[in-house]
Amino acid sequence: MINPRLSLSNRLLIAVSVVLGAFLGLSAFSLNNAFKSSAETAQEQRLHNYVMTILTAAELTDTGELLMPEKLLEQKFSIPNSGLYAQITSGDQIIWQSPSAIGLFLALPFHPGPSIEQYSVIDLHNGMKLRNLAFGVVWENDQGAQFDYTINVSEDQLMLEAQTANFQRNLWYWLGGTGIMLLIAQWLILRWSLRPLTGAAKDLHAIETGEHPRLTGEYPMELQQLTQNINNLLDHEQSRRIRYKNSLADLAHSLKTPLAVLRSELENSQDLKHFKHVGQDQLQRINQLVDYQLQRAATEGKSNLLAPVSLGEIIHKIIASLNKVYQSKNIHCQFEIERDAFIHADEGDMYELLGNLLENAYKYGRQRVNIVVQSQHQKITLRIEDDGNGIPLIAGEAIIKRGRRFDTQVEGHGLGLAIVSDIVEAYEGTIKLEKNFLGGACFIIEIPDQ
Amino acid sequence: MRILLIEDETALREQTAQQLRAQNLTVDAVADGEEGLFMGSEYPYDVAIIDLGLPKLSGIEVIQQLRALSFKYPILILTARGRWQDKVEGLEAGADDYLVKPFHFEELSARLNALARRASGWANATLRCGPIELNPSSQQVFLQQTQVEITAYEYRLLHFLMLHAGEVISKSELTDHIYEMDQDRDSNVIEVFVKRLRGKLDPDKTLNPIETLRGRGYRLNLPRD
Repeated sequence: MINPRLSLSNRLLIAVSVVLGAFLGLSAFSLNNAFKSSAETAQEQRLHNYVMTILTAAELTDTGELLMPEKLLEQKFSIPNSGLYAQITSGDQIIWQSPSAIGLFLALPFHPGPSIEQYSVIDLHNGMKLRNLAFGVVWENDQGAQFDYTINVSEDQLMLEAQTANFQRNLWYWLGGTGIMLLIAQWLILRWSLRPLTGAAKDLHAIETGEHPRLTGEYPMELQQLTQNINNLLDHEQSRRIRYKNSLADLAHSLKTPLAVLRSELENSQDLKHFKHVGQDQLQRINQLVDYQLQRAATEGKSNLLAPVSLGEIIHKIIASLNKVYQSKNIHCQFEIERDAFIHADEGDMYELLGNLLENAYKYGRQRVNIVVQSQHQKITLRIEDDGNGIPLIAGEAIIKRGRRFDTQVEGHGLGLAIVSDIVEAYEGTIKLEKNFLGGACFIIEIPDQ
Repeated sequence: MRILLIEDETALREQTAQQLRAQNLTVDAVADGEEGLFMGSEYPYDVAIIDLGLPKLSGIEVIQQLRALSFKYPILILTARGRWQDKVEGLEAGADDYLVKPFHFEELSARLNALARRASGWANATLRCGPIELNPSSQQVFLQQTQVEITAYEYRLLHFLMLHAGEVISKSELTDHIYEMDQDRDSNVIEVFVKRLRGKLDPDKTLNPIETLRGRGYRLNLPRD
């Protein structure tokens, strides 16, 4: 089993070393084989050439005697133990031996047949190993008598082996050197290519320790998606944290007023009925403030990491619910929803946004509610209108005005709208309130999608 | 009118049950989903009030199972968090209306009456049959615009008969809808109540508002306005 925590660079190094080792080993093996076989072929060629030299130098007398010159062209034949030997046999007689071969018994006399070359390896009693070529010749004199001769030329195998060993040594030096250099190069390449990862880890650590709020470095293309997403997540969390903090601060702040009113009433009021009335009002107000700030804190807000949700589906579900609750009003609801009206948003936020808007429409509308959803140029446009008498127009305009918090509003219907306005803001959208031709309110909301 | 209240917060449950009883409604109050489901499938209710966050069996599951068992009475859900997703889920499961906690009791009472009215085909908040008028929110009964003093049980009986004006209601059905589960019930008392109601609503015996159908039960015999 491979340890799943094995580092990336170790994985790559191990893999590369194995591949490199196998590659270099195989190359050495095949190079060695190729060299060996070409050396053997060269040797055979050499032996053949010597035979031809001897054949050219030999002279046959009329009586069939073989005459050899004192010195052959190849010096090595004249030096004893030079490693190159020759002898000529006829029948079971050794007719001639090169000076180098004196004291050596090379081969049993035998005749391979006219013009036939036969290669063999001869192990001598003194431990020498020779490569031998036996070549059969048949000479004819002028009278037509035939004389069989065998020319043997042998070369000491030590020469060939020394050559091969030399080659192998050189081969290992070169391949080993190349291998080590490649490994070093690999290691350097690895360090170089993995450096952005180390950088990202360092940057993340800097975020952990609070030195940076997000990943700041430049990253290669392959990492950009990851770092981008990490940054998105960080931004999202950051804005959520801010919203939490703000909601908490706003809640604490906004509760002070109703609490102060209650306290002063408790201390000063003599009239129980009046006190009860004020108490009810302030409790209602506290309840709304808690609801509102809770909702505000729970809003997820814009994030690229959210899956797309279908606005049409949510709208249909909410309308089915509202039709049930407002059954007696018998509202006629008209839809115009684009089929691919999806938005990357939190489902809960969209339920809250649409639920509050549609409920207001059902509450204030008389008979008709129109809903239009369009998805264009990476922007979702929502249009919700009713035929009511525009009750929310007065309160609504004030509520959706920028910078006004819910707790600064006067009274009543505004809670839902304040929540809507906050959600729209959390998604960096815009909200407009218009009077429509039906006479009621018409909310136009635009939310950019990605 | 008999109400099933499933709410796990003791204080809220007891307070609400008490306020409902004060409105002359018959109330069975239970604290968890399992018991609620048992009660809901065992007794004939006119409306159920179900909290969504219940122990043992969630409010949504109780509603789904009641609807799967084909109980048709209206259900009002109570939610602590006013999340729209929760409301939609509850209404999809088969509830008919929702109320976000904390609520004013008047709001709850109005919703309950509206649901009961809707389920029995009444359009207006005040039930009117001929010269008789019953106002569920003030629990007052009028005959020719003059208030008639009637007792709590007489009111419960008249309320149920008027909700189902024109339908034949058996004596045991009446008992079921005006008594809570652990109260002594005596169907002979029904006859006494009916007799007294007749005396109060039809003093000169010309109207005959409540008809007796021998062996079958009673029927409020005045046309709905």
